[in-house]
Amino acid sequence: MDNKELFAKMEQSIINYDKDEAVRLAKMALGKGIEPAEAINEGFVKGIQAVGGLFGREEIFLPELVMGAEAMAAATDILGEAIKKSGRKAKYLAKGIAGTVQGDIHDTGIRLVTTFLVANGFDIIFLGTDIPSSLFVEKAKELKPDLILLSALLTTTMPNQKEVIDSLKGAGIRENVKVLVGGAPISQDWADQIGADGYGENASAAVEVAKKLIGG
Amino acid sequence: MLKLEERRASIQPIKSKLKISILDDEDIKKINEAAISILEEVGVLFPSEKALKIFADVKANVDFDKKIVKISSHLVADYLKKAPRCYTLAGRRPELDAKIGGENGTYFYCSGEAPNVVDLETGERRRSIKSDVENMAKIADYLPIVSLVWPTVSAGDKGETAPIHGVEACFNNTEKHVQTESVMNEISAKYTIEMASVIAGGRDKLRERPIYSLLLCGIAPLSQDKGGIESALAFAEAGLPVGIMSMPTMGLTAPPYPAADLAIGLAEVLSGCVLIQIAYPGTPIFITIQPATVDPRSGDYFYGSSFSQITSAAAVQVAHSNGLPVTSQFSFGGNAYKLNSWQVGMENVCGHLLSVMAGADMSFGPSGMIEAVALLDMARILFDREIFQAIDIITKGIEVNDNTLAFDMIREVGPRGMFLGRKRTAEELPKLWPPSILFEKSRIVGEKYRDAEEVAREVIDWILKNHHPAPLDENVKRELRKIAAAADQDENLKGGIRGR
Ligand code: B12
Repeated sequence: MDNKELFAKMEQSIINYDKDEAVRLAKMALGKGIEPAEAINEGFVKGIQAVGGLFGREEIFLPELVMGAEAMAAATDILGEAIKKSGRKAKYLAKGIAGTVQGDIHDTGIRLVTTFLVANGFDIIFLGTDIPSSLFVEKAKELKPDLILLSALLTTTMPNQKEVIDSLKGAGIRENVKVLVGGAPISQDWADQIGADGYGENASAAVEVAKKLIGG
Repeated sequence: MLKLEERRASIQPIKSKLKISILDDEDIKKINEAAISILEEVGVLFPSEKALKIFADVKANVDFDKKIVKISSHLVADYLKKAPRCYTLAGRRPELDAKIGGENGTYFYCSGEAPNVVDLETGERRRSIKSDVENMAKIADYLPIVSLVWPTVSAGDKGETAPIHGVEACFNNTEKHVQTESVMNEISAKYTIEMASVIAGGRDKLRERPIYSLLLCGIAPLSQDKGGIESALAFAEAGLPVGIMSMPTMGLTAPPYPAADLAIGLAEVLSGCVLIQIAYPGTPIFITIQPATVDPRSGDYFYGSSFSQITSAAAVQVAHSNGLPVTSQFSFGGNAYKLNSWQVGMENVCGHLLSVMAGADMSFGPSGMIEAVALLDMARILFDREIFQAIDIITKGIEVNDNTLAFDMIREVGPRGMFLGRKRTAEELPKLWPPSILFEKSRIVGEKYRDAEEVAREVIDWILKNHHPAPLDENVKRELRKIAAAADQDENLKGGIRGR
């Protein structure tokens, strides 16, 4: 199999939501000495973009989108390590970390935002729910993301979005990242009030705002 | 037109003559068995050391590392037996008591805790504040269809202690039973229980006449919330009723089948019920299973889908088969709905009609709520009131007797006669035309009826200006103020309730 064929198969594995196949192909690429970034850009990213297109045209629905994103994540996990070593960058629009703030376990919305961003070519790491600000800061230092996505669904946990922003300032890394906030009680006013860089009403808006913020 | 007159609060449950059963005995048996298999083989996550120890003490299968509890069918049976089937959710005076499990039918909440509200003056959507909680409690106090009152929006101006201020706002503006679903940690629980105790005149009196209760929601699938479960234990310790809710979302946090949602939802709520009964046997409890669906294109959340509604109504039979009272049916729309969208009207009719006919002990009722409990439009509660009035009429069925067969009248009037100008007609006809905001005559030429929304807003204005809920004693009020102020100063409640 030449590289072109392999890339085509990678693309297809995502379109087929075939995680095992995606993982197998990722390993094969490493074995063949293919640049991991190239495998992602020429193979898997094309697959997830195709899946995103089908979803946008309502030919498939969320379960398939999630399966596609999961197959993608499984393959890129394997290639990611190798990319770190090679120093070359994959063609992601931007890198981000996402999570629900401390005290809050509502994760449907932020997972969707993550999935939509991934399907639109972002590299987003979902940290989970009930994430203390210290962990956001720690991950921001470690992973050097371009974006931090904070979700809050409770009146009582909204202040924790501000706390994350303040902690980023405290750690001296506020200027290195764009902070996006969202969740049912969140509004543009609130985002302005706490000094966030952006607000998105829903997952599609999140993608638009994220693109704007990174100048893409 | 609604008859607007100053009056004291009253409550009006609906008792249905029409009965439906959605599940047959075999279905119910299978669902119960599936729930028990889930409890025995999969277990439920309890991220609370306190809860895990309570389970371990009665030899439930507890994995302290994974925080998972597996509960045998015997434990379930033994401890459910301790839960009363009938009890009272007390109001401030006996006339306002909701007698759960009795003969009175279904009692309705005015529920919610939305973070946003439609501003009464500007009509704009904004974050809710404490005075909105006060206003809505006053409206709920006025409307007899409401028996049980939640803070329907958050006191968003109060930050972390919003739930405590919400409870205070309710106590100050309604004599009806108050319930919270957002006091979700032990510390806040204690502050609010103290408020209730001050009003009741002491802990023992509160236990005798519980004017305050809690609804706790599990985290689907199969998990409880640490803060929530510890709050529930504090309520139970004080002898206050506790409801345990499950909100399985079909295809998202639960399997994509209504039957499985009933089973997994039941397993979740029973785990909470068993915990409460082990810790404080005899605590009045109830359950509720509120499934939802999602828009497969966006993930938007729908309470009001017909699939959710039939499942929520079926949960009534499932609960009763376990000897537990049950609250049925949200009427909150979906999170992506527009204000006054057509769907919500349809949904609120179907849902509550089903729950009343299924014989639910309680139902989430008229609320003016939309966007899946994220937005309150106060005037809408009057539209909901119309719906409940219709449901009341429909479910009363038809009275058949000599008087209502009216053979004498028919004989008198005879062929081609008129029944209009008769004494009996004069008495009865107005009853066939119940008070409504929908058919208010318009003064504008060419317009037959006025816009119901406009009428509703006038009624809300009237209530807020003219209705004065029976006030608490000044000393009691002052005590409540002090308790809320102390909570505001409590370092342990800062930072979004740390250490959940
Ligand atoms: C489903 C649900 C739950 C589920 C959550 C399941 C899960 N795994 O997520 C369960 C049942 C577990 C739950 C539990 C509780 N809940 Co709840 N829950 C909801 C509900 C009905 C819908 C949330 C949802 O899934 N929406 C669908 C998704 C698609 O929409 P979304 O979350 O808004 O996200 C979209 C946008 O907001 C945006 N977005 C979201 N995040 C972000 C982030 C960024 C960066 C950007 C750009 C955009 C963005 O994009 C998303 C996709 O379109 C909301 C009401 C509501 N309408 O929001 C209440 C609600 C948030 N819950 C509420 C409450 C009170 C609770 C409990 C305390 C209940 C209890 N008594 O135990 C617990 C709290 C547990 C905890 N510690 O967090 C209240 C909050 C009240 C308040 N004013 O603070 C609400 C408003 C409902 C209510 N009024 O009662 N809940």
